[in-house]
Amino acid sequence: MKIKVSDIVRHVLLAFLAVVWLVPIVWLLATSFSKYTGMNSSTFFPEEWSIDSYRNLLFGSDTVAQFPNWFWNTFIIAVFTCIISTAFVLMVAYATSCMRFRGRKTLMNIAVIINLFPGVLAMIAVYFILKSIGLTNSHLGLIFVYSASSGLGYLIAKGFLDTVPVSLREAAYLDGASEAKVFWRVVMPMSKPIIVYTVISSFLVPWMDFVYAKMMLNSGVASQWTVAIGLYNMLEKSLINTYFTQFCAGGVIVSIPISILFIIMQKFYVEGVTGGAVKG
Amino acid sequence: MEKSKGKVAGFFGGIGRFFRGFGEAVAKGDLFVKLSLIWMGAGYFRRKQYVKSVLITIFEALIIIFSVVCSAQYIPKFGTLGTVKRASEFNPVTMKNEINDYDNSFMILLFSVVSIVIWIVFLLVWISNVRRAYELQKMAEKGEHINTFLEDLNTYRNENFYKTLLALPVAGVVVFTAVPLLILILVAFTNYDQQHMPPAELFTWVGLDNFISLFGGGGLTITFGYSFVRVLIWTLVWALFSTFTTYIGGILLSLLINHKRVKLKKLWRTMFMVTIAVPQFVSLLLVRNFFADGGIVNTICANVGLTDFLRDVGLISTSYIPFLTSPGWAHVMIILINIWVGVPYQMLIATGVLMNLPTDQVESARIDGATPVQIFRHITMPYVLFITGPALVTDFVKNINNFNVIYLLTQDVYTTTNQALANSQAKEVDLLVTWLFRLTQEYYNYKMAAVIGIVVFVLCAAFTLIAFGRMTRGDREEVYQ
Repeated sequence: MKIKVSDIVRHVLLAFLAVVWLVPIVWLLATSFSKYTGMNSSTFFPEEWSIDSYRNLLFGSDTVAQFPNWFWNTFIIAVFTCIISTAFVLMVAYATSCMRFRGRKTLMNIAVIINLFPGVLAMIAVYFILKSIGLTNSHLGLIFVYSASSGLGYLIAKGFLDTVPVSLREAAYLDGASEAKVFWRVVMPMSKPIIVYTVISSFLVPWMDFVYAKMMLNSGVASQWTVAIGLYNMLEKSLINTYFTQFCAGGVIVSIPISILFIIMQKFYVEGVTGGAVKG
Repeated sequence: MEKSKGKVAGFFGGIGRFFRGFGEAVAKGDLFVKLSLIWMGAGYFRRKQYVKSVLITIFEALIIIFSVVCSAQYIPKFGTLGTVKRASEFNPVTMKNEINDYDNSFMILLFSVVSIVIWIVFLLVWISNVRRAYELQKMAEKGEHINTFLEDLNTYRNENFYKTLLALPVAGVVVFTAVPLLILILVAFTNYDQQHMPPAELFTWVGLDNFISLFGGGGLTITFGYSFVRVLIWTLVWALFSTFTTYIGGILLSLLINHKRVKLKKLWRTMFMVTIAVPQFVSLLLVRNFFADGGIVNTICANVGLTDFLRDVGLISTSYIPFLTSPGWAHVMIILINIWVGVPYQMLIATGVLMNLPTDQVESARIDGATPVQIFRHITMPYVLFITGPALVTDFVKNINNFNVIYLLTQDVYTTTNQALANSQAKEVDLLVTWLFRLTQEYYNYKMAAVIGIVVFVLCAAFTLIAFGRMTRGDREEVYQ
């Protein structure tokens, strides 16, 4: 094959863009291996390399940095959020996609309207409600916050279930299967891609979220925090010079599992967002 | 338009039928149907549905207990939101200072709203209960089979399965989103702020005062009108730019990567995806320090002489480049950084869409002698727009509410020098949502935050309604089944 000038231009352009996109990430990695604990502002790469920040982060917890605690907290919250959210999303998706009942359209329209309010707004009142029953600064409260309203995010799953052939369900009804059985035995086994997508995306919520955790866990007890608030706190003006490399190390550590999950998920993400339209 | 009219008419028709059925049941029902107006279990009891009768009676009893114990305390005070201020009084009996029996305005508001919601639900259950009792009467008169309790339970696995499925998710949304939103909407009509914080102080209804001060009316908070206009303009500019830059950037990038002469497509794609796989609070906080006033980029710019050049040109007046700390620079940087965060997402979606591009059209166009640019303009772009159009509208609305990018990039770093903005706790780089968030978290100004929240809703609703026809997927949902 003959090499054309336009091919070279294309590859050079891509390489240039890739470098631009990766520079901050490379800086994150490089800084996390720096010996100097503060932000290195004179050279791009650290002058002395070491793995101290990783060692301090994982084994040397102090009053500010309690990374193993945070990781564990976030993990527990994520597991419960994931279970509840996935169940809710799939339940709502099945009800709205596969069943026909009075008020279905009304319900869906109400969901659209509620979704138009900024989520932070509802959360302000939720905070007071949880405070009055003593659930702020608790992981249970945060799990509720993440998962209770998750049914509203049913549209992508519904879009998927809409493409499950209706004839399969009809065959099951003819064989005398109940609606519940169709849900469990016919539709769910066929929906593996969307289940994987929902599980991963809801598991990632507590890892990615910053706002709600900051609102709910505001007592200042570092051992209760999630990874997001903990790492954010390390960048306080008075702390940044001692903890910046630990922040980078923490960022690298949480990014690894999240990246893996994300790469598994992205294939379903594309399918979900573009919905059935692509299949046609 | 015609169709939506039909929908509205159908909705009200449904309500009409619901109440007509109730009237008919009361008028024509037998003694037990009429009795079930008071004792909800009466109708079921008469038809020997004893378990159901007991359950609904317990439900009724719980509602009554709740109303007496809880609502009766709060609902009467709903009109004033409380009158007795918290105070420490000397109690002659115990010879100690004691806290009086004070009113807590927020609790009054909260429990009043909860009571009203519960009562509305109860009213609906009560009406359908009477109708059901009447239906049972008619069935009994015709000699039809009346379900036993077990058979009734069984319907929740069959034709009523949707109720089983929806019960918990809907309850979750009502408790954690709908009721809180209702409360916050009501707060917009009160004077709930730092000077009126329960439990120490009371707050009360003030009508439309907060809306007036936001839209530039007088009062102590006169700068709110000034700030609102500026924050609103930036919110819209931001939403417009961030949506279109990432959208077009994503499509161009995916066209570039998916070009058939490009090698190692997967590798390129993965390189761009790394930025979205890193959580935003890490990547954005990192970039914020990357571009800090004393950060690495500034050092490099100073070393290559860019800083001096910009100072000579007159673009900056400081010894560093204020990437995220001065108005104009920060606005541009935020949009650029958002391109860095957002383009890979859009590239993923566009890749999915482009892979399904109808190749026959492209081929025939090429045979007819169309140039690549023409193919892109007349075939690729219309197709991509057709499929991702609705997503474009959702993205726009999402960007109006894009809290993370703005908050993580500017919080604690950006301080405004504009006194008028500072007086209303706003900054040049704030979106309506970040302004709202700061008002509640740092200044406890709940009344203005609630008003801003309502404005954001109206804004989003307006944009969504414009594109509503394309957004409702209801009409398409059965096509592929």
